[in-house]
Amino acid sequence: MTAATATNNEPRTTNPLVRLLQSEYLVLLLSAAYFFAFLPFTPGFASTENAANILATLLPLFIVAMGQTVVLITGGIDLSVTSIIALCSITGAAVMSGDHGWLAGHPLAVPAGIAAMLLVGALVGLLNGVAITQFRMPPFIVTLTAMMFFSGLAIWLTKSKNIGNLPAAFNALGGKTWLALVVSVPLAAAAHVMLSRSLWGRWLYAVGHNARTSLVSGVPVNGVIVSAYIASGLLAAVAAVLYTGQAESGSPVLAQRLLLDIVGATVIGGTSLFGGKGKILWTFFGVLFLKLIDNSLNLLDLSYFTIMMVKGAVILFAALMDTARTKLGAR
Amino acid sequence: MPASGSADKPLTIGISFETLQTGFWVASLDAFQAELAKRNMKMIQAIADGDANRQIEQVKNFITRKVDGIVLVPKDAKACIPIIKAANAANIPIVLYNRPPDKSDAKAVAVVADNFALTKETVTYMIGEAKRTGRKHKAMLLIGDLGDINAIGRRDGFEAAAKAAPDVLDVVARVPTEWNQEKAQAGVVNALQANPDISFIFTSSDFLFPSIVSALKSTGKYKKVGEPGHVILGGFDGDATAYQMLADGYLDATGVQDVYFEVEACVKAILDARADKPVEDTIKDPGFVIHQGNLKEKAPRMWGAKK
Repeated sequence: MTAATATNNEPRTTNPLVRLLQSEYLVLLLSAAYFFAFLPFTPGFASTENAANILATLLPLFIVAMGQTVVLITGGIDLSVTSIIALCSITGAAVMSGDHGWLAGHPLAVPAGIAAMLLVGALVGLLNGVAITQFRMPPFIVTLTAMMFFSGLAIWLTKSKNIGNLPAAFNALGGKTWLALVVSVPLAAAAHVMLSRSLWGRWLYAVGHNARTSLVSGVPVNGVIVSAYIASGLLAAVAAVLYTGQAESGSPVLAQRLLLDIVGATVIGGTSLFGGKGKILWTFFGVLFLKLIDNSLNLLDLSYFTIMMVKGAVILFAALMDTARTKLGAR
Repeated sequence: MPASGSADKPLTIGISFETLQTGFWVASLDAFQAELAKRNMKMIQAIADGDANRQIEQVKNFITRKVDGIVLVPKDAKACIPIIKAANAANIPIVLYNRPPDKSDAKAVAVVADNFALTKETVTYMIGEAKRTGRKHKAMLLIGDLGDINAIGRRDGFEAAAKAAPDVLDVVARVPTEWNQEKAQAGVVNALQANPDISFIFTSSDFLFPSIVSALKSTGKYKKVGEPGHVILGGFDGDATAYQMLADGYLDATGVQDVYFEVEACVKAILDARADKPVEDTIKDPGFVIHQGNLKEKAPRMWGAKK
């Protein structure tokens, strides 16, 4: 039995409605139903160009949401991911930019820039994890204040200015969808295997279920929590690579408004806000569902305010469903 | 290629705004709707909520829908370049409204206010009012987001006017706001505490007036023009708050961006580009200064004065 099957509530009832509600493919089915329901009314929804557009914007969100999944499984939350993306974005850009970048024009500028971004992401994750485990502070407060601090730092460092003139090879990582796929698919596969087949994965679920019991059972709880936040920081940094490449510039406010999408997509997928439950595949379904909604509402030419209301309602519905599924699973 | 909408198949224009956070953008979107309806053209809209990557996605949605032209209010001058390139690749004319792009090989038309000249003219008018008091004034400048070239133009316009009147103005506070009401409010309060005798305030955007008024009211300094203790006030944009303050006699002057000129110029630029007519890379809106002396005459052209 894998960690995932041991810890993610499988259907145990014959009631088809309850089975559907508990199915791990529920959100995929909802996505398919939504797609076919809106297809006749939404111009260009099924076109290949639109599919490519959805994929291009889905991949970076999926990567950062994978990190959020890992943290949520431990029973925590990482609200600092958007500031990590912004800080990584300006760090990488400061290294690579042709306009006064530290390694402007150097052949190693791109790998060095990406390495710097990953390092910054991992360091912020480490800080979050250490603050939570060593000072016994709630993850919500730690990562919320980290978000404020690092967002401010990014703006202060750049004086609110974007950093452009990035190398074409770097921009291609975000701009060419197949390259983004080359980055995303192995990452997702690795994260899936780590969660479902490794000891670390079992520890994550165990800590999320009951940290005290896990500690008594010999699980290095603090180390597991710190590692989850480092993973979240690293994945946010990878997402920053794609987002920055898409925008062809490093921005201190990059992803500033993405937090609702990141947490929302993860929860919509079925990862529990209460910890101990979640899968990479579910998160992919959640991201896909959210992106389909976003994309179709845009194509339908609905107003900005309507789109915000619909998305908010969908995320609220997902949170309610999470509560219902948790209750059903506990029976 | 049709140069305008016809009865059979009206042209569709995709309008992508970075935000609708202030009255200026809301009034602009309304003006686009009215202008396109007048020309029998269809409008589809997308608002990026301050997210450059979301804006890229939304404009690609426009391209998917095969729009006939795109009007863009970009998040910033750099992140809009891949958007312009995508429109160029799809051979769709793209016009940037009110915010120009950075220099690049991407082809777009920008319709922008002459921020520097209009601010300089507005502040020069305010300095004229200050001179009439017969004393030197301590001044405060509220600066916008310096990632926005409009904010830089307005700051420089203020500094140029102030530099030309050293006997009238002593600039003692420069408040960075990043186009944020809360930051502006905190900055104004701090500046007034440090320099209680500030008597001349210019804001780089009218939407920050509520923060200024609140701070002035709390210190008992919110007085009408001509009343003893009046703080000379000026701004930029021409929004509804500024109009009401002018009408109520509290505001000395504001530089008005001519929304209707800019909107018309955007639509005309798209139609000209579609008809292969030459279009300038940058179309400048001269705007105008509205003040207590010309309020009745200029109000009909002030977008903030529309009910």
